[in-house]
Amino acid sequence: MLLCLILIPLIGGVLAGFSQRLSPKLPRRISLFTLLISLTYLVMLTLVKPIARSSQWLFDESHVWIDRLNIAAHFSMDGLSLILILLTLLIGLAALSSAWSEIEQDQGFFYFNFLWTLAGILGVFLAMDLLLFFVFWEVMLVPMYFLIAIWGHENRRYAALKFFLFTQAGGLLMLVSIIALVVFHYQQTGLLSFDYHVLILAPIASPAAIWICLGFLIAFLVKLPAFPFHPWLPDAHTQAPTPASMILAAILLKTGGYGIIRFVLPLFPNAVQFWSPLMMSLAVASIIYGALMAFSQHDLKRILAYSSVSHMGFVLLGCFSLNMIALQGAVMQMLAHGLSSAALFMLVGLIQQRFHSRDLHQLAGLWRYLPQLSAMGLFFAIASLGMPGLGNFIGEFLVLVGALEQHASFAVLASLGLILGAVYSLRMIQKSFFGPFRIPDLDPQSLTLTNDAGIVPKIDIGTNTTSGIEIAADLACISSGEQSRVGVAEHIEKPEPPSSYPDLTPKEKLTLMSIAAGLVFLGVHPQPLLDLLEQSLAQILAAYAMTGSES
Amino acid sequence: MSIHYLTASILLSSILTLLLSIALKRSHLYAFIITGIGLIGAALTQMSLIDAPVVSELLFIFTPENAFISAGLLVILVFLWSQLYHWLAKSGNTCEEYYLLMLTASLGAVCLIASQHFASFFLALELMSLSFVGLIAYSNNKPTSQEAGIKYLVLSAGASALILMGIALIYLQTGSLTFDALPASKVQQIANVPLNLTTSGMIFIIIGLCFKLSLVPCHLWVADIFEGAPLPTTALLAIVSKLAAFIVLWRMFSYGQWHTDSTVLDIIALVAGASMLIGNLLALQQERLLRILAFSSISHFGYLLIILLLVGSDTSLLTDISFNLEAMVFYLVAYMLTLTGTFSILMQLEQNTSVSQLSGLFWRQPLQASCLSLLMLSLAGIPLTIGFIGKFYLITAAIAGQLWWPIGSLVIASVIGLYFYLRIIMVMLSKTATFSVPCTLDMRERVTAWVIIVIVIGVGTFPSMLADMLRTVTH
Repeated sequence: MLLCLILIPLIGGVLAGFSQRLSPKLPRRISLFTLLISLTYLVMLTLVKPIARSSQWLFDESHVWIDRLNIAAHFSMDGLSLILILLTLLIGLAALSSAWSEIEQDQGFFYFNFLWTLAGILGVFLAMDLLLFFVFWEVMLVPMYFLIAIWGHENRRYAALKFFLFTQAGGLLMLVSIIALVVFHYQQTGLLSFDYHVLILAPIASPAAIWICLGFLIAFLVKLPAFPFHPWLPDAHTQAPTPASMILAAILLKTGGYGIIRFVLPLFPNAVQFWSPLMMSLAVASIIYGALMAFSQHDLKRILAYSSVSHMGFVLLGCFSLNMIALQGAVMQMLAHGLSSAALFMLVGLIQQRFHSRDLHQLAGLWRYLPQLSAMGLFFAIASLGMPGLGNFIGEFLVLVGALEQHASFAVLASLGLILGAVYSLRMIQKSFFGPFRIPDLDPQSLTLTNDAGIVPKIDIGTNTTSGIEIAADLACISSGEQSRVGVAEHIEKPEPPSSYPDLTPKEKLTLMSIAAGLVFLGVHPQPLLDLLEQSLAQILAAYAMTGSES
Repeated sequence: MSIHYLTASILLSSILTLLLSIALKRSHLYAFIITGIGLIGAALTQMSLIDAPVVSELLFIFTPENAFISAGLLVILVFLWSQLYHWLAKSGNTCEEYYLLMLTASLGAVCLIASQHFASFFLALELMSLSFVGLIAYSNNKPTSQEAGIKYLVLSAGASALILMGIALIYLQTGSLTFDALPASKVQQIANVPLNLTTSGMIFIIIGLCFKLSLVPCHLWVADIFEGAPLPTTALLAIVSKLAAFIVLWRMFSYGQWHTDSTVLDIIALVAGASMLIGNLLALQQERLLRILAFSSISHFGYLLIILLLVGSDTSLLTDISFNLEAMVFYLVAYMLTLTGTFSILMQLEQNTSVSQLSGLFWRQPLQASCLSLLMLSLAGIPLTIGFIGKFYLITAAIAGQLWWPIGSLVIASVIGLYFYLRIIMVMLSKTATFSVPCTLDMRERVTAWVIIVIVIGVGTFPSMLADMLRTVTH
C-alpha cells in the first residue's frame, strides 16, 4: 500500500499539531516516531517484495478519485522513486535532528508543517496520475511557505512570498500544460485519461507538443532552479530556518529534476529534442553563474544556495544529454547533492546557533574552538566540490562523460564549473574555519557572556546580519554585550576561554557522520544504486533510442 | 401551474406572513423563525425539484441546472440566515424588515435564475435590486451605509435604464420579448437592416448586467458599496445578486444565441481579460479586507466570462459541449461556497476587517484564522480546496475550446491574485507585541468555522460526488 506511505506522515502531522496542548515536547517525539515508522514501512515493503528484473515498476496501485474526468489516485514506485523516497525520509530524519533543539516556539504547528511538506514530497515521487502529481506538487508548497514565513530569519516574509509566487507561477503553467496534454491526447486517441502509464503510450504528435513541453519545463526549471528562474532560491534558503533549508536544498529541489526525468523526457520525445540545445545552454549558464555568484557572497547560506544552483545545473545538463550515462549521473548528482547540501546547511545552522551570524566577514578561525564541527564542514565542502571517492564526484563525472558524447562543447564549458566549485568552496572553508579566531562580537570580553546571557541571543535573532545591516547588527551586539556585562559581572573575571562554545553534541555528530557515510558509500560503491536505477532510466530513454536509430 | 413554482410560492407566502407578523407584533425572534421556515422550506422543495422534468413556459424555464443553482443559492441563504440573528441583534437597528428585504431579494434572484423572457427578467431584476437598496442603506447608525445605498440606487437605476433601452431595441427588431426570439429573426435582420439594432440592444443589456456583476468598465461602485453596506448585505450582494445576474447573462448567450454575434463576443472577451487583470491589480494594495474581496470578485467573474466565450463553440476538443456548462456551475458553486465562508468568518470578526487589524490573529484565534487562510487559499485556487477544482474545471473547458489568450490572462491574473491572498495570510501569521485578550469563541461560531473547513477541504479533496451530481444535472 503506497498510499499508506503518504498517509503516515499526514496523520503524524495532525497528531503532532494537536499534541502540543499536552506537552511541548511531544510533537517532536511524534515526528521522530512517524518518520521511523515510514522508514520501516518502506523497508518492509521493499524487503517483502524483492526487486523484480522483469518490470520497471516495483509497486503499482490505483484508487478511484474523480470518476467524472477519469482521474485516479494512482501510485507507482520504481527504482528511481524508491531511491528518492529513501533520500526524503533520511533527510527528513536529519532535518528533524537539526530542528530538535532549534525550534522552540509553536512546536506543534512547526512539526505539522514539517511532516506535511515531507508527505507532499513523497506524494510527488509516487503519484502517477498527472493531476494527482500536480496536487502534491502544490500541496508541499503551502506548509513550506509556513515554515519559512513563521520560523524563518529576519527577512522571512519577503522570502516566503517570493518562493511561493515563483513556484506557483510555474505550477499554473504546468497545470495548463497538463490539461492541454490530456485534451490533445484525448483528441488523438479518444481516451480521456490523466494517467502517466496511459499517456506515455502515445506521445502527442501535434505541433503544440513543443509548447506543452515548455509549460512543464518551466515549472521544473523554477523548482530546480535553473539560471533565469532561480531568484527565489537564495532568499528562501537564507531566510528559512535550518530544518526547512535542509528540506528545501536536499529534497525539494530534487522534485524538479525528478519531474524532468519522469515526465518531460518520456512524454515529449520530439519536443525534448527541440528544446535540448536551449536547456543545455541554460544548464551551463546555471553552472557557471551559480559558481560565480557563490564566490562573491559572504553569507554562508547564500554561498550554499548559489552552489545549489550550480550543482543543479549538472542535473539539468545530465537530463538533456539524453543518454544513459548522463542520466545516471544526474540522479547520482541529485542524491549526492541532497546529502552534502543537507549536511552543509545543518552545519551553517549550528554555526548560526552558536555565533548568531553566518557572515564570512565576521567569522574566522572557528577550527580552534570547534574542531569537530570544522572538520565536518571541511569534509562536506570537499565533497560538494567534487572530490573523487565521494558521491558528488561520481555524479558530476558521469554527467560530463554523458554530455561529452552528446555535445562536447557544453561538457567542456560545464567542466569549468568543477574548477569554480573548488574556488568558492575553498574560499568558504578558508575564511570561516582557518585564520585567527574572530566572531561577530567585537568586544572580546563579551565572548564569554554570549552563552550565559540570555539577552544576546534574543536580540541578535531579530537584528541578525545580512550584508546591508551589518553595522546595525554590530551595534546591537555591542550594546547587548554591555547590557549583559552589567547583569553578570562576576563572570568576566574568570579567564574561561571561548571554548564555552560547545562543539558537536553526540546527536549532531551521529547525524553528520551518517550523512558522511552515505556520501562515501555513493562515491566508493555506487553500483548497487545504478543497478536499481537502470531499469527505470532505460525505460525512460527507450523513446530516444528509437528516434536515435532512425535518424 | 407547474410544480416548479412551488419554491417561489413558499418564499412569497413567507414574505406575506412576515409582513403580517410585523404589522401585528414586532418581534425579532418571530421574524427570524418565519424567514427560516420559508428559506428552509424553499431550499428543500428546490432540492427535490432537481430531478423534475424540464418545463419551458413563456416567462420561465425550469431545467435541472436551473433547479440545482437555485437550490444551491437557497442553501447558501439558509447558511447566512443562521448567522443573521446574532449579527442583527448586536447591530442596534430594527431587525424585522431586514428579513423581509432579504426574502424579497431571494425571491427576485430565484425568479431571475429561471427567467427566459425579458419581462420576467426585468421584473425579477428590479425586485432584487430595489430590495438591495434597502438592504445596503439599512444601518441607520453608519453614515457610509446611507452613502452606499444612495450610490447603489443611482447606479442601479442607470443600469436598469440601459437594460430597458436594450430590451426596447431588441423588441423593435424582433417583435418579441422572449430570449430565443432572436435567432429566428436573425437571418432576415442581417439582410435588411443596415444599422444593426439588435447588436446595439445586446450591448446595452450587457452593460447593464456588467454593472450588476461589477465587471471592468462598470466596476467603480463595487468597493465603496462592499465596504459601506452592512456585512450580511455585502454577502448577499456578492453572492445572490451576482450569481443570479451571471446565470441570466449566460442564458441570454445560450438560449438567445447571442454568441453568434461576433461584436458581442469581442466585447465579452475584452471585458473578461480586463476584469481578470484590473480586478486583481486593484486589490493588490488595499488595506480593507472587504475592498480586497470586492476587487477579487471582479476578477473571479472575469474568469467566469470565459464560459460565455465557449457557449456554442462546436470546436470543443473534448467533444462534450455540456462540459462547459458543468465547468461554469462547478466554478460558481466553488466560488459562492468560498465567499459564503469568508463572509461568515468576517461576520464573526465583526468590525475587525482591515488587514492590519487581522495581524496576529493566528495566535489569538487559531480556528478562525486557519479557516480564513483556508478560504483565501481556496479563492487563490490552491489544490485540496474547492476553489482549485473549480479553477481546474474552468481551465479544462477553456483549453478544450482552445481559448489561449484568455487562459494566458487567467494565469497572469491568478499569480497577481496570489500576492494579496497570501498577504492576508501573512498578516495573520505575524506576531504582534500587543496581544489582545484571546476571547473564546462560542459554540455557534466554532461549529460554523468547522462546517466551512470541512466543506472547503472535503469537496476540494473528494470532488467526485459533486462532479457526478453536476454531470447528471447538466446532461
